[in-house]
Amino acid sequence: MKAFSIAKLVPLALLLAAWQAASISGLLPKAVLPPFSDVAASLTAMLGSGELISHTVASFGRAGAGFAIALIVGVALGLLMARRAVVQRAVEPILLLIYPVPKPAIIPLFMVWLGIGDASKIAVIALACLLPVVIATFNGTRSVDQMLIWSAQARGTSERRILWRVVLPAALPQIAAGVRTAIAIAIIVLVSSEFISSETGLGYLIFSYGGAGADDAMLAVVIYLAILGFLLDRFYLAGLRRLMSWHAFAH
Amino acid sequence: MSVSCLEMRAIEMRYGDGAQAVHALKGIDLDIREHEFITIVGPSGCGKSTLLYLVGGFLRPSAGSLSLRGHPIAGPGPDRGIVFQRYSLFPWLTVRGNIGYGLDEQGVPRAERNKIVDEYVRLVHLQGFEDRYPRELSGGMQQRVALAQTLACKPDILLMDEPFGALDAQTRRILQDEVRRIWRRDTKTVLFVTHDVEEAVALGTRIVVMAARPGRIKEVHERGFDVGDGEEFETNAAFAALKLRIWRSVKAEVEAANP
Repeated sequence: MKAFSIAKLVPLALLLAAWQAASISGLLPKAVLPPFSDVAASLTAMLGSGELISHTVASFGRAGAGFAIALIVGVALGLLMARRAVVQRAVEPILLLIYPVPKPAIIPLFMVWLGIGDASKIAVIALACLLPVVIATFNGTRSVDQMLIWSAQARGTSERRILWRVVLPAALPQIAAGVRTAIAIAIIVLVSSEFISSETGLGYLIFSYGGAGADDAMLAVVIYLAILGFLLDRFYLAGLRRLMSWHAFAH
Repeated sequence: MSVSCLEMRAIEMRYGDGAQAVHALKGIDLDIREHEFITIVGPSGCGKSTLLYLVGGFLRPSAGSLSLRGHPIAGPGPDRGIVFQRYSLFPWLTVRGNIGYGLDEQGVPRAERNKIVDEYVRLVHLQGFEDRYPRELSGGMQQRVALAQTLACKPDILLMDEPFGALDAQTRRILQDEVRRIWRRDTKTVLFVTHDVEEAVALGTRIVVMAARPGRIKEVHERGFDVGDGEEFETNAAFAALKLRIWRSVKAEVEAANP
């Protein structure tokens, strides 16, 4: 991982400065986009009042639950598909069909089945996160070099232990990449699901502030969510590098 | 020097059916005695690696039988150690973890395992690299680790599938000397596949020349003289003569395969 440098912040700072300048000069009317200073003030106030904390906890509880289900089911299903042709033939067409469906479009259906509470949100997040995890696990498992498996067998590893000692570790870099995609998807689907029906959560905040015309507060939550998402991704990558120092990561 | 270690009888290997069928190996009969160093050389497509994988138990022959010290080969096992050209090592394990892998799988307790690993680290001259991962090592060092990993399991026979094929010429010569030294020390039985005639003569006490389409044994040369180290490639007249004889034989096969 390259050291985080100030230089990387320059384009972002320029963009914010241009935004602020356009607002002050009157080029950008408040009705179109509130000045950055208003948004920043809003964000500071919300952070100070603790308003964001409870909504963050609610949101990340849902996203975390959905993501965890997807991770467990996804890795298991991907492994099974790669190791058992029957499972692959049964599951693959269904996955291919679900793949292009915009997952938020299924939310109303899930609400009919599971109610308008957390269960339907968690279910749709799990479904959306499942696909990248299954696909990455399947591909990662399938691309494990045959000679690596032979190598383990010639060193006394039984057929049953091959999965734990060779297949999973060898597939781990690909699975980890799929999981990274799943994290991003979890946040996207989370916010969509909270738009539709919720009394808590960051998606709910964005939706209700937007509906009330409080554009600066709405944008403050969006920026807050962007920062959280960015940090989450960084933490994930840093954790991976520690865990998989044996692997040469491209990033 | 006459106890039979490995016996191959009338081995046939076919892939596919009808017009697309490939006759990979035909009528292979070969007896390998204990402590022999057998090299198998031949053009690509002659089935020399396939033959090695059959001995490894990774593939099953279409017909014929293989037995190791009187027991039929039914699958892979730690009694036959193998070093591949690549992918012998587990990238997620350190040098220490890789060399100790087989011992770990066989339930050798940690303290004893560490002692054996240290011994093999010294044998292949990798002191100071115990905690490195394979990707941090050069190709030559990786193959040293693979060799140590295989030897640490104390196999009855050592199988080597073009182990130095991806290395530069200097590293290859040095590793050939290492393998010869280790073979002398342990007097292991070795079955070594290569496409390099010089390597075949440098290492093999017996050199098996194979022909392609179908893959079969063309001739077997008893080397009959000792090779001390790689410098004899240039200084030993008998070495040069045998190398030339085998090269002409292999060349005829390569030309027959690519007219």
